[in-house]
Amino acid sequence: FYFFLVQSLDPLPMHGRDLGVHPDDLIEPPEQEQESKQEILENKDVIVQHVNIEGLGRTKEDLLGYEISDVFHAKSLIDVMKRAHVARLRLLRLGIFKDVEVLIDTSEGTDALPNGLDVTFEVTEIKRLTGSYNTMVGNNEGSMVLGLKLPNMFGRAEKLTFQFSYGTKETSYGLSFFKPQPGFFERNLTLNLYKVTGQFPWSSLKETDRGVSAELNFPLGVTSHTLKWEGVWRELGCLARSASFAVREESGHSLKSAVSHTVSVDSRNSAIFPSRGALFRINQELAGYTGGDASFLKEDFELQLNSYHHYCYCGLVLSASLWGGMLYPIKGQPSCIADRFYLGGPTSVRGFGMYSIGPQSEGDYLGGEAYWAGGLHLYTPLPFRPGKGGFGDLFRTHFFLNAGNLCNLNYGEGPQAHLQKLAECIRWSYGAGIVLRLGNIARLELNYCVPMGVQSGDRYILRFTQICKISVI
Amino acid sequence: DLEVEPAAEPWPENATLYQPLKEDQILLSDHASSLAVQAYLRMCGLPVQVLCRVNSEFMSPSGKIPFIHVGNQVVSELGPIVQFTKAKGHSLSDGLDDVQRAEMKAYMELVNNMLLTAELYIQWCDDATAAEISRPRYSSPYSWPLSKILAYQKQWEVRRKMNAIGWGGKTLQQVYEDVSQCCQALSQRLGMQPYFFNKQPTELDALVFGHLFTILTTRLTSSELAERVKSYSNLLSFCRRIEQTYFEDKSS
Repeated sequence: FYFFLVQSLDPLPMHGRDLGVHPDDLIEPPEQEQESKQEILENKDVIVQHVNIEGLGRTKEDLLGYEISDVFHAKSLIDVMKRAHVARLRLLRLGIFKDVEVLIDTSEGTDALPNGLDVTFEVTEIKRLTGSYNTMVGNNEGSMVLGLKLPNMFGRAEKLTFQFSYGTKETSYGLSFFKPQPGFFERNLTLNLYKVTGQFPWSSLKETDRGVSAELNFPLGVTSHTLKWEGVWRELGCLARSASFAVREESGHSLKSAVSHTVSVDSRNSAIFPSRGALFRINQELAGYTGGDASFLKEDFELQLNSYHHYCYCGLVLSASLWGGMLYPIKGQPSCIADRFYLGGPTSVRGFGMYSIGPQSEGDYLGGEAYWAGGLHLYTPLPFRPGKGGFGDLFRTHFFLNAGNLCNLNYGEGPQAHLQKLAECIRWSYGAGIVLRLGNIARLELNYCVPMGVQSGDRYILRFTQICKISVI
Repeated sequence: DLEVEPAAEPWPENATLYQPLKEDQILLSDHASSLAVQAYLRMCGLPVQVLCRVNSEFMSPSGKIPFIHVGNQVVSELGPIVQFTKAKGHSLSDGLDDVQRAEMKAYMELVNNMLLTAELYIQWCDDATAAEISRPRYSSPYSWPLSKILAYQKQWEVRRKMNAIGWGGKTLQQVYEDVSQCCQALSQRLGMQPYFFNKQPTELDALVFGHLFTILTTRLTSSELAERVKSYSNLLSFCRRIEQTYFEDKSS
C-alpha cells in the first residue's frame, strides 16, 4: 500500500494519460524505480518519432512546421522538454493561438521504437473576428473608438486590424495588414492605410495626415532592421485665429513620399524601466526621390545605456541617454514645419514646456533642423522602502540631469560651424522626483526641476513640480 | 505688454497682399477678387506689395483670396478689407449720403451674386473649361496624385455650392445671359460718368473694375464672356480709365 501511494503520486509526464496503476508495478521496490527514473531523465537516449499538432482549424500546417521542427532533434528527455517548451513559446508568439498545451508520451503504434516519444501540441485557435468598442475623453474632445481584428486571416498568421475613431472634433481611422514570413516570424511585412489628425498647441498648428505605408522588418545578426516606404498627404492649418504668421505661411497641402531605414540593437531588459542593457537606434529618411512635394534627408539616432549597481542593500540603476538628429532639405526647398524636430518637455529636457525650446515666432514654436539631447538618470528605490515587495516596488526615486539644443543650421558652412552652433546656447536642467511604472506601457513622473540655460523665447516652468505622463514605445 | 489698438496704427510700408501664382495657378474668379482689392487700395493711396504664394487660399483665414497682411493683422476679402481701412481712417465712400451708400451696397451685391457666381460657374461647372483650364491650373503646384485629389475636391465643392444657390440647373447660355443683364444694369448706372458716383471712385468702382478687367483680359475656352462685356462701350472705357489712372506703372 505504501509503494502504491508513492507511485500514484509520481508526477512523471512520461506516463501521460495512463493514470491507472498496474499490479506489476507494485512488485518492484521504489529505490530501483527512482534510479531508473533518474536514468531516463538524464542519460537515456530518446528519439522523437512524431510531433503532432491537434486542434487546428483554419491554420495551415506548413506554417507551423518550422516552429516545431526543432523538437525532432532532442536527444534526451530533458532536451525534449526544453525544446517542447521553446516550441510552445514560438507557437504562442505567432499570435494565432489562445492557448497551447504540450503532451509528451511514449510512442505507440506499429513503428514505435522502445525509446520513441510522441510529442503533441494541443492548440486552441483564436476566434476569427474580435471587436472592441471604447469611448475616450480627453483634450477637450470626446470620441468613440471602434476596433476590429481578424487574426490569422488566411491561415498563415496574417492579421488584419481596423480602427475607427469618431470624435466631436476629428475622425481618424487606420487599416493594417500584417504578414509574417512562414518559418521566420521576425521577418514580416505590414501594410497600413490611415488618416490621423493631430493638434499641436505649442505651434498653434493642426495637422491631418492621410497616408499609406509599407514596412518590412527583418533581423540581421543582433540588429533588427526596418525598411519602410510611406506616402502621406499632409494638410496643415492654424489651430487658432491668433496663430503667428510664420505658422500661417505653412498652411496648406503637401505630399510626402519617403523611404526610410531604421536599424536598432536593443539589449535592455525592459523598455520602460530598464535596469540593464543598451539601446542603439539609427533612423534615416529620404523624401522626394519617389515622388511628392517634400524633399529632404533626415537622420536621427538614439543611444541609451543602463547599468545596475548594488549599494547599501538596495539596487541603483544608472542610465545615460543621448539622442540627436538633422534635417537636410534638398532641391532648394525650405523645410516644412511638419518635418522638423522639436525639443523640450518631460520626454526630453525636463523643466521646459512641451516642445517649447528653440526657434519660435510670436509664441509659436517652429521646430528646428538639428538637435541633440542627453540625460543622466539615477533611479533608486523609495527611501525607507515603503510597500516593499508589493506596490512600493513600482515606484522609484529619480535624480536627473537633462541637456539639449535645437536650432537651424546654415548648410553653407562646414561641419565645424554646425558643431559650434549646436554647442552654444545649451539648455539644461536638473532635479529629482518619483517615477511610477504603469504596466509595460507607460511611466508617470512627478518631478521638481530647475531649468537652466534658458534662451529668450523658450517656455519653461520655474521650480515647479510637474506631473507628466510618458508613453515609451 | 502695452496693447496698441490696431485702428490707431498707421498703414505700414510693408503691407502685403497674397494671391495664388499669377502665371500658372490663379483662376479667373480669384484674379478678379484680387484685382478689385488692389484697385481699391491704390484708390485709397495705400501701398501694398503683391506676393504670390501657392498656398494663399489655405493661408487665408476665411479660405478666400485675396488677403492682406498689415502689421500683425490678417484680413481677407474686399468687404472686411474696406472695413479695416475705414477703421484706420481711409475711406472712399465718406462723401456719399445714406441713399447713395445703400445703392452702392446693392450694386456690390449684384456684382458678387451675378458676376462672381457666373465666373465660378464657368470655371468649374462647364466641363470643357474645368478640364482644359481650371483643373490643370488649380493643381499645377502639386505632384500626382495630390494634384488630382485637390482639383476634383475643389470642383466638387464649387458644384455643390452652385446647386445650393440654385445655379446647378442653369445652362452656359443662361449664365451668359445673366452676365449680360448684370453688365446692362452696371452700364445704365454708370452712364457717361467717369465713376459710379460721379467724380470720385468708390469701392464699387474697384469691384466692378476687378471683375470686368479680368474677364476682358483672361483667355478662356470661348471668348463669349468677354464679348458680352465688350458690347457695353462705357464699361470698356471705364476699365481703361481706371487702368490708366491707377495701374500705369504696372503692365497687367
